[in-house]
Amino acid sequence: MTAVAIARSSLRTSLARYSRSWGLWLLLLVAPVGARFWIPGENDTTVVIAVNGSAPVMSSAMLGVALGIVTSTLLLPVAFIYLRSNATRRQAWQIEEVTAASRVAMALGRYSADVAVLGAVLSAMTVAGWFIAWLVTPLDTINLGHVTLGLWLIAAPALMGVAALRMLFDSLRPTRGPFGEVMFFVLWLAAIAIPAAGAERNVSFAGNMLDFAGFVRPLSYSLPEGQKGDFAIGAAPVQHGRVELDVMSGLRSEGYVASRVAWAGIAILIAALGGLLYSAHRPRPERRRTGLIARLLAPGAPAAADPGAPGARPSRAPLIGLLVAELRLIGNGRLWRLTAALVAAGGAFLDYRTIIGPAALLLLVFGLTAHAARTEQPGLRALTRTAVLPALARRIAFVAAGLFWSLAMALPAIGRGAAAATAEPLLLASATGMAAALAAMLLGAWTRSAFAPRLVLLIAWYAYLASA
Amino acid sequence: MYYLCDTPRASGTRDTAELLLDGVGKKYRRKTVLAGVSHRFQPGLTLLTGPSGAGKSTLLRLIATAERPSSGRMSWDGEPLPQARSKLRRALGYAPQAVDLPEDLTAREFALHIAALKGLELASADRQFAAITDRIGLHPDINNRISTFSGGMRRRLIFAQAMLGEPRLLALDEPTAELDRETAAKLGALIVERAASAIVVMTTHIADELAPLAAGTLRVEGGAVVAVSP
Repeated sequence: MTAVAIARSSLRTSLARYSRSWGLWLLLLVAPVGARFWIPGENDTTVVIAVNGSAPVMSSAMLGVALGIVTSTLLLPVAFIYLRSNATRRQAWQIEEVTAASRVAMALGRYSADVAVLGAVLSAMTVAGWFIAWLVTPLDTINLGHVTLGLWLIAAPALMGVAALRMLFDSLRPTRGPFGEVMFFVLWLAAIAIPAAGAERNVSFAGNMLDFAGFVRPLSYSLPEGQKGDFAIGAAPVQHGRVELDVMSGLRSEGYVASRVAWAGIAILIAALGGLLYSAHRPRPERRRTGLIARLLAPGAPAAADPGAPGARPSRAPLIGLLVAELRLIGNGRLWRLTAALVAAGGAFLDYRTIIGPAALLLLVFGLTAHAARTEQPGLRALTRTAVLPALARRIAFVAAGLFWSLAMALPAIGRGAAAATAEPLLLASATGMAAALAAMLLGAWTRSAFAPRLVLLIAWYAYLASA
Repeated sequence: MYYLCDTPRASGTRDTAELLLDGVGKKYRRKTVLAGVSHRFQPGLTLLTGPSGAGKSTLLRLIATAERPSSGRMSWDGEPLPQARSKLRRALGYAPQAVDLPEDLTAREFALHIAALKGLELASADRQFAAITDRIGLHPDINNRISTFSGGMRRRLIFAQAMLGEPRLLALDEPTAELDRETAAKLGALIVERAASAIVVMTTHIADELAPLAAGTLRVEGGAVVAVSP
């Protein structure tokens, strides 16, 4: 049996699993429907892509480029979340790791399935792009080939890169958990920031290689010198009317196509590297610390057991007990509570909006997502369904506990605000605590994993920090 | 504790497979979970017994190369590990106690995927899987998704994939847990059959019933082999 057979088996089983996951069909439906909302109408005052404060005039090529850019920038985290938290998350590694099968072949087989699934989503978006072209561009100028070329040339290598990162991060022990999400978050930000900062300086293959998301050259190529650096992707106001961009020239400019092909090749190599560097799962060793930190973090000896202890009595206030339990489990561990205390103390003399609020929210994100995921596991859900208090009560207590922690970490800042006659810290702590807890609970219940809520909340956290 | 002794060879077995553990130990950071285990495994059934947390599953994971020992030496067919790891893995069938089974695959799809990873010819693996599952009462369900399986069905599926390809080394971690006596007996019969030509090492809670059929028993306590029988 060759490596090809192993890759084929990995591809076949992964595709079978994807095809049976409702998430894929949802994505195939949502992507083309969502595409319509990314393409602005002629009179819209806010657009998804703006160049120097102007909205690009929609031609067939610009439409494809716009869909491609939205996919290769804003939607990459969605693709990462989908791949990492969906159908193929569970693998029988306990058995697979003791076979003599080539890990590279397995990684490439699974990677091919991921790429095929993302390719199907891009295909659905292509068809949607053709339909949108019919809606927003003059009939005699419609060129379906331009729509397709713009979308695939920009988005396909970026999506292949995300699938490769998923494969690599799942292969390495340190990035299988939360650190992988943080790493992806950092790389994603870098993939958007670096090209905007440097790629336009050099119209060449090397210059284009700085632009993983592939958006700079198509947008900037036909602009006059000195106007090439101001792009807004997301929600940008139209300040200076419309601008006609010859994006096809940018797509055909020197080194651009070659750079996209090179990125696709690099993605395949990264996926193969994931197989090559694969590190086997290991039982988590018990960590023993010594010294001051050990004393602070040590759980301590358990209280002496009383063999004659009577059976537990029903609580007079079960909801309060539930809230206290949720508080303990979100603020789990002495390290978390110690950090929370330090953040709260900082609020007595540091600005809440720019420093303490984001620090508290970041800490809360990790506490909330870890707890939301563990309480929504199917086995535990089946068990808690038999309890006196319904699951909804626990979820409400979870949100209330999240809000409590947010307010607790803001207490000194709220006190300072009251002295200065401003309720800003109170309002911010309430809003961020409530929103983060609600999002963590909903996404945790939906995906049964800490991963999706953590990544979504990290992106929201960055938006909160950057908007200060 | 340091024991060096042999599992007696089952009668009529081929003189090929041999797994040697020489002073093997396992540490997680500073915590020793297994120390100084020495044993020569030869074709036949060897039972690992002992209380929970004694180190039986750790020993089985070391045998299955799911983990590397922190100390000591292991060899397979006279060739030292880790150099001979690939050879050992090609001869291995492993049924761990807990597996993250892919719920959305059918039992047959899962088994054939594992067969591909083991380097087996798929058509013959398919036939063998049908035969094994037929004997342990799982055959009517092999085209159903794993998500619909009970605990006992999952256990039988994990066992069946380990048996694929007639492994020369079979490491089974509590294969009969969650099974009724009748089904456990069916598994036991298959295990004993395989032990005629292969090294079979298994942990089990029904050691008393299998002991008369076993070539040897290692009792593990506190991370060490404290008794070997016969």
